[in-house]
Amino acid sequence: MRYALFIFILCCSNHLQADESTWSERLQIHGFASQAYINTSHNNFFGDSEDGSFEFTELGLNGSFQLSPKIRLASQVLSRRAGELDNGSPYIDYALVDIDLLSTARSTTGLYLGRVKNPIGLYNQTRDVAHTREGILLPQVIYFDTIRELLISSDGLHAYHHMYLDSGTLLMQAGLGYPITNKNVEYAFMGQDWNGKVGNDRLGFFGQLRYEYNGGRWIYSLSHANVTIDFKAGPQDTIPFPAGPGLNSGEIEVDYTVLSIQYNGKKWQLTAEAALEKVEFVEISDNFSEQSGRPFGYFIQANYLFTPRWQGFIRYEEWQRDRDDWDADEAAQRSLESSQLLSSFGIDQPPFPAHTNYSKAWVIGGRWDIKPNLMLRAEYHITDGTSSLPARENNIALSEKHWNMLAISLSYRF
Amino acid sequence: MPWKYIRVVITLLLLVSSPVQAQTLIAHPEQEQSQLSRTSLRAMFAMRLTQWPDGTPVRVFVLKDNDPIHIQFCKSVLGMFPYQLRKIWDRQVFSGTGIEPTVLDSEQEMLSRVAKTKGAIGYLENNSIDDSVKQLRTTL
Repeated sequence: MRYALFIFILCCSNHLQADESTWSERLQIHGFASQAYINTSHNNFFGDSEDGSFEFTELGLNGSFQLSPKIRLASQVLSRRAGELDNGSPYIDYALVDIDLLSTARSTTGLYLGRVKNPIGLYNQTRDVAHTREGILLPQVIYFDTIRELLISSDGLHAYHHMYLDSGTLLMQAGLGYPITNKNVEYAFMGQDWNGKVGNDRLGFFGQLRYEYNGGRWIYSLSHANVTIDFKAGPQDTIPFPAGPGLNSGEIEVDYTVLSIQYNGKKWQLTAEAALEKVEFVEISDNFSEQSGRPFGYFIQANYLFTPRWQGFIRYEEWQRDRDDWDADEAAQRSLESSQLLSSFGIDQPPFPAHTNYSKAWVIGGRWDIKPNLMLRAEYHITDGTSSLPARENNIALSEKHWNMLAISLSYRF
Repeated sequence: MPWKYIRVVITLLLLVSSPVQAQTLIAHPEQEQSQLSRTSLRAMFAMRLTQWPDGTPVRVFVLKDNDPIHIQFCKSVLGMFPYQLRKIWDRQVFSGTGIEPTVLDSEQEMLSRVAKTKGAIGYLENNSIDDSVKQLRTTL
């Protein structure tokens, strides 16, 4: 056994010499650290933000190792603290084997095997790295921090094919994997922590078609994700109404399509993305089935480079829980009736006003690159509606319709 | 149309007075290729095309993002802004789907690393190149 190991190491070192590449050329280590301060006029976002919160911290460390010309290993460990949503305990963000199946001057075809970041929109794969975002917070109308785990990465297999055309680069990626589900997902879709739990027994599909015209002057992308969350009702959930909530075990089907377009100019950068969603509650309860719907979210953002180190941006973002019930008058009416029905049984559940079903925000912000690796940011959000608020941090039914948010962050990368 | 003429004059003046040296692609002296298309170059500097046609792994060397030679190389040879390359590299590095090139501090280092590293590709200003590296032509 020892001899085998010795011979193996000898072979590896021989191979290294033959390839003339040193460990330093094969191994890359990178990381990032970011700390934000958030202050809201009303409602809570990432901690007790009405009094000012420092509970938004992101730390990451990753490595990539070229095992052979065709095989590469990569992994990242992430620690994220985000108010009640994330407590900062480290976890594996991705851990994959990248196998280059076929490389020519015109194309590359390969596989990612393991825990793979899902390519959704322009930002999902690197959403926790401040330097890769266009603001302190990604637009909460597409990149919901309340359900980030569900879409962020999946355990499975992705295939990719890149085509290097004279007009631009076409990047395709598609895969199957088990999504990550946790309490945040339960809160986001089912409003609270039930006695039962949500699980991820079903394979999800993730795919993206991305075209970078003329070296990325224009980027167009179409992404799609389809995941099914299982809900296994606990004993207390199944107690029939009105003594209990009367829930059954069932499923939540989430279908997510994102269209993206971006222009990258010398001074101006323009980005627009739209997300078409479909959420369907199956068999859990009539009440939940009524919440099935077709949400729609979009944002449009303009960035301007004043100097190479000073940047400003303005963004408008909007999300509607149901495309067929814009501004949610019908949903509010249903919630009111349901609340009245519950109170006739002596159950106190305040109705969810219309503004809990949408979010419309103007955001302005600035960025100062103090050094190439160190960045200071500030941004201000003026928001109408509370659909982006975490249910773990707020009593959503009683949330304040109009609220503002100031965020400041300092971010380092290497 | 006086404005049109003014623009032509300004452009000519800029061309005459421009102190910027032409940027030239350089490779390891044993590199068989003597020319590359802009399409292949963009794919190599984006760290997406990872092998030369003979199968040798590509080793990309660049200067810092804010180095004037890097900025000029990106614009005139790749037809891109440095921040676009940085975005591509960051997306790969922080999602595990790829890597970034080796960033060097000086032109001297660029010359010596490209001369010594098999499969290397980099760039320099014309007047700092010697016989230790091979010059590559770009075709559009």
